[in-house]
This record gives sequence, C-alpha cells and structure tokens, in this order.
Amino acid sequence: MKITDASVHPYPTGDSTLARMALEATDLGFDSIVAIGEVGRQPPGAEVLRGIVINAASQKEAIKRLREPSVRRADVVFVNAGDIAFNRAVVGLKEVNVIRNIHTARRNAFDHVAARSAAGRGVAVDISLAPIIRLRGTRRQRALERYADVLSLQRRYGFPLTISSDAHSILEQRSAREVRGLCALFGMTGAEVSEALASIGRLMEPEQPVKVV
Amino acid sequence: MRPRPPAMRTKRRYILVRVLPYGARPDQKQAYFSVIEAATSLWGDAAVGFAQPAVVFCDAGYIVVRCRRGTEKDIATALTTVTAIADAPIALRTVAVSGTIHALKRRIKPIRPLPEAEETTLGEHHFTVYRYPRQKVDLVEKGIKHQKIVFFSEADLEER
Repeated sequence: MKITDASVHPYPTGDSTLARMALEATDLGFDSIVAIGEVGRQPPGAEVLRGIVINAASQKEAIKRLREPSVRRADVVFVNAGDIAFNRAVVGLKEVNVIRNIHTARRNAFDHVAARSAAGRGVAVDISLAPIIRLRGTRRQRALERYADVLSLQRRYGFPLTISSDAHSILEQRSAREVRGLCALFGMTGAEVSEALASIGRLMEPEQPVKVV
Repeated sequence: MRPRPPAMRTKRRYILVRVLPYGARPDQKQAYFSVIEAATSLWGDAAVGFAQPAVVFCDAGYIVVRCRRGTEKDIATALTTVTAIADAPIALRTVAVSGTIHALKRRIKPIRPLPEAEETTLGEHHFTVYRYPRQKVDLVEKGIKHQKIVFFSEADLEER
C-alpha cells in the first residue's frame, strides 16, 4: 500500500523545488507524491507522479483539453469541479482520474447521481487539506460541510477518495498522522484515511482479473 | 500560599513541536498568540478554555505547548493549522507528547546549518544559502524585513 499525497505544486508555482518536496514527503511518512506541472528526472526520496489539472467551463472544453498531448503524458488527470451538470458529465469521461476543488463548488454540485457514476467508473474525489489549514471562519466551515457531504456519499456508493495537501511550499505539507487529525474534523475514521491515502496507487494499478500469459 | 497537593492538581500533557523553516526563531509570546488563535478558530472558546493551551518553552527551533490531559490530540490538530507566527510563514510539526517537559527536552535535536554559508542570485534577487543535513538547502533573501525563503535541495542548486 503506497501512501500518496495527491497533489503538490512545486517551484516555480510554489517556493519549494520538487526534489525538496519529495525529501520532505519522505520525512512526513509518504511513499509518493503527485506533482502538478512539469516533472523532470525522478528526484531522491518519495516517488513522483506527474499530475495535470484541467480547469474547464464546459464538458466540451474538458474533452478538448483531455486530447492534448501533455494531458495524455500525465499519470493522474485532475478536473476542477463545476456545476452539477458538468460534474455528472465529467465523471463519465474515461481519461479523468480525479475530481478536485469540490469545496469550491456549490452545495449538492456533486450529488448521488455523480457519486454512483464515479463509483462505477473508478473516478476519485479529492479532499484538499489546504482550506482546512489555511482558511478560517465560515469559509472553513463550508469546506468541512462539503467534505462531510462527500464522505456520506462515499460511504453509500463506495467511490474512491484521495487526500491532497495542495502544498505550494514544504511549510504546507503535512504528515500522515496530521492528515488523520485533520480528516477527523469532518468525521473520517483512521481506516478511511488510510484507504484514501492509498487510492492513487490503486488508480495507477487497478485490480484486474488475472491474465494467462 | 501553599501549593495544591499533587492529587488535586490538574493533570497536564506537553507537546513538543518542531518549527519550520529551520532558521526560524519565533518569539515565545508571538508563538502563544498564534497557537491560541489557531486553536480558538478551530475548536471555539469553550474547548480552548477547557484545554488551557500555553507555550512554555520556545528555543532551538522547538516549541513546547502545555495543555490539559485528554485534550492533547485536539491541540495537536490545532497546531497543524498554524501557518504563521508574527506574519512570518512557518509550519509546526508535532514530534512527541509527554507528561513532563524534561522527557521532551531529551528529544530536542537542534538542526543547525552547515558552516559554509554562501551567496547566490535567483532572478534579480540575492539570497544567502544555508545548507542543512540530508541535502536540504534554504535560500534566504537578503534584506532586513519579510525576506523570502526558497526551499531547494543540493541537486537543484548544482543544476542551476
């Protein structure tokens, strides 16, 4: 079981280089990280996967972006959540691995129909720790409410969850133990957190029937 | 005034926290304000009043936070939401929890930069290079106030 931080933003987007973030991730108990943006050679420390984020206003635009060569090269394809129709459509696309930024979407934008579809196709929903760490007051309360709602849908339909620090700096990365404490704020159990941290590994290597060679 | 007998005293727990970046030496009072703000924002006045968190030690890149026994998990969670002390971006990493400060002080291993400090430029900015064990390199912008810090590794510095 590989424990993975589902998204980090290394230098030049953030203030820490990919190699330093990989070193820090190892110290914090992670086996791998998903770096958003260009990934050069594999640095020492945690394994680095290449992630790409698609921010589209419509399903048509999302499909167009998914055909780009840079997206095809990526290990993990993230799509930013939108309105209810967009989310229902996006979970049905074959190339999409994870829906992220669910905390910024409107209430019920990710509903039971999208949840059932995500479970069927193995599309994960990302839980970003950044709003819990950085935000205060009503904005953080809203994020916790959204995550609690996603968790209740996950328990009912069984789609995968991923957990990301969304760190732009090593100062924003958190250890696996701290992730458990933060996820407990919206009712996630330790076992659910462990499963969510291992989801990226399962998305990369899905369980398939044994092939006779 | 005679102190309370031990059985009547409130049971405490102490949380040892490492401060990042390595060179940061926050003021104890400012650290206390940041911890209280984060805890109150997360758990509310009633819970923080019950937990009685306080910063009792702040030195060598480490902080010891005192709290009531049984609330240490909540306070440790609140500590992960501390992002700045006196406007300087920092991170607090929980190292250990104990019933005595003495036991925690044995766990303190100060991380100091390797002796050879040099200078470099990144774009138009001048930085001082501080090397730390495990190939970690911090570039601190030259200046008096609000210096930017960039986190590199030894390999990144060689590749530039």
